[in-house]
Amino acid sequence: MSQLRRDPIVGRWVIVNTEDPKGPNEFEVAKHEFTQEANCPFCAGNEKLTPPEVDAIRTKGTQPDTPGWSVRVVPNKFPALTIEGDLNREGVGIYDMSNGIGAHEVIIENPEHRKTFTDLSAEQIKDVIDTSCRRAISLTGDKRFKYILLFKNYGVDAGASLEHGHAQLIALPMIPKNAHEELNGAHRYFEFHERCIYCDIIRQEKQEKSRIICENESFIAFCPFVSRFPFQVWIIAKTHSPYFCHMSEKEKISLSKILKDVLLRIKVVLNDPSYNFIFHTSPLEIRQAEGFHWYVELMPKLTRVAGFEWGSGFYIVPTDPETAAGYLKQASVTT
Amino acid sequence: MPQLRKDPIIGRWVIIATERAKRPDNFKQKAEIFTERPCPFCEGKENLTPPEIFSYRPPHSAPNNAGWQLRVVPSIAPVLRIEGELDRHGQGVYDLMSGIGAHEIIIETPRHIANIADLPAEDISRTIFCYIERIKDLEKDQRFKYVLIFKNYGLAAGGGHVRHTRSQLIATPVTPKRVKEKLVGSHKYFEYHERCVFCDMIKQELNQKERLILDIDGFIAIAPFASRFPFEVTILPKKHSCDITHLTTQERMELAKTLKIVLTKLKVCLDDPPYNYLIHTAPFRRPKPGYWKTIDADFHWHIEISPRLTRVAGFEWGTGFYICPMQPEEAARFLRETNI
Repeated sequence: MSQLRRDPIVGRWVIVNTEDPKGPNEFEVAKHEFTQEANCPFCAGNEKLTPPEVDAIRTKGTQPDTPGWSVRVVPNKFPALTIEGDLNREGVGIYDMSNGIGAHEVIIENPEHRKTFTDLSAEQIKDVIDTSCRRAISLTGDKRFKYILLFKNYGVDAGASLEHGHAQLIALPMIPKNAHEELNGAHRYFEFHERCIYCDIIRQEKQEKSRIICENESFIAFCPFVSRFPFQVWIIAKTHSPYFCHMSEKEKISLSKILKDVLLRIKVVLNDPSYNFIFHTSPLEIRQAEGFHWYVELMPKLTRVAGFEWGSGFYIVPTDPETAAGYLKQASVTT
Repeated sequence: MPQLRKDPIIGRWVIIATERAKRPDNFKQKAEIFTERPCPFCEGKENLTPPEIFSYRPPHSAPNNAGWQLRVVPSIAPVLRIEGELDRHGQGVYDLMSGIGAHEIIIETPRHIANIADLPAEDISRTIFCYIERIKDLEKDQRFKYVLIFKNYGLAAGGGHVRHTRSQLIATPVTPKRVKEKLVGSHKYFEYHERCVFCDMIKQELNQKERLILDIDGFIAIAPFASRFPFEVTILPKKHSCDITHLTTQERMELAKTLKIVLTKLKVCLDDPPYNYLIHTAPFRRPKPGYWKTIDADFHWHIEISPRLTRVAGFEWGTGFYICPMQPEEAARFLRETNI
């Protein structure tokens, strides 16, 4: 018998296969091939192929938009939203619309084409995190923006159109629906219990242990009880804070290590699948932020979302998170 | 300049990218690598499925034998099981219940045809009759609150490695979140305006015409104003009704015709793309304390059709914001101009 589990924050139900869980080798995973090395706009030496950089970590004495960088941030050449202009909302009959104001930046993780995220050293990953936090803080200063999303698509199945390793940052003029639901859910729990639900989840996960993959000084990684996808992972800060961009130096180092560790486990156990990771964070100017706790959600792309999921908002999880955590925990990786 | 548009029912924002004008050709997919598996849904292969629950067959033909026009069988890999009691309980901060439900496969034809668009209209109307019969039958089971009817066509839409056209239904013990959002959204609109948001939308679309794909008999097909996906289509009955099971015989035939035209246009315009469709109708309304009495006025049933032309990526999963690379007005124009 499968189990229906309800997300304690947003109230979403998922159907978890606890009876006959799918093993890590039973998913169809497409191989990653490098086919875009010629004229890759993210490679060192091709800086002129991108819009001018907005930030970079570079060796002293090197000029912007030339080689010599280790992490580089550029505006997306085909942005989903544009940075210039004032927000202008209007209605047409029953419909509401607005012009597409926002920021869409690409964080190029390293100058080498074939180095994927897991090939980077923990120090290099920390540079990426540092840069991302710096950009997020800088965009927060722009009063037109209400929400900042940091995410990464790795592999074609995860929606990556360029194969050179990069993360993306989008600043939005409104709080997106998912964030809204999470903030509301967390706030309701906070009002009722006067405690943060995420802190309670951490406590319960540490007690039950069955879903924990690994932990270090500042972070804990586990497969959430109400995973939407098989082998989904949360990496959550042990110290309560609503905003990722205000991480301490120590936390940044810890996060780099655990992120690399977990992604390597996923790579080994699931044959290098495509994945997305998303930083769930609180919008900066909102009162409910006190009940929210930032975390990283990591989703290997192993299944396809079909009509049932689209129509119901239910998700079918063929591997229960306890089994998935078991596989990931046992994986031997050297970081 | 890209545009942000808000769904008038559930309030979801989408980004409509308008920078680069796209044509249907830009979305055409590479042929899927497909390993055809032996088909358990063809006539003569009835022993390969679990025993049928329902069928349309001539009076003299026996169940689970050849001679049928349409067959409904339990899924061989059900996501929810029909046997057992609902056992709802908590575990610390978490809630759970047993996976009770029904999961059925509706085999729309005994012939090995892949796309429902290629069936004659009679077969499609028979399928719609069957949807309604199955919903009515499952309503009798007090454990269920909702029946979702949907179709996965093609690999990218989750259709698997058997091509034989079929729909699926899943009966669930709770009203699904997506449906609840629409019920809540349309209820709020009704409270404020004392009108149905879908009826207002139909009026506006018939007036503006730029997103209208089809207007025949009792139904319209539109490219929704806040489309999440390129070439997304919504089919709505023009007459207000919250429940698909209330359709008259005549209306069921009209719906079949509408569905056939829309799906054929998508097939021609986009070179036989994978797609999902699903029916959003009202949940079961059983009088009991706290029962939602206004659903009949609030809600308006409809069908969502989504060709799978783009991939959902980190941004969409993270925000619930969708980036649609095609203006719905353009998509509607292409589909209107597609001759079939």
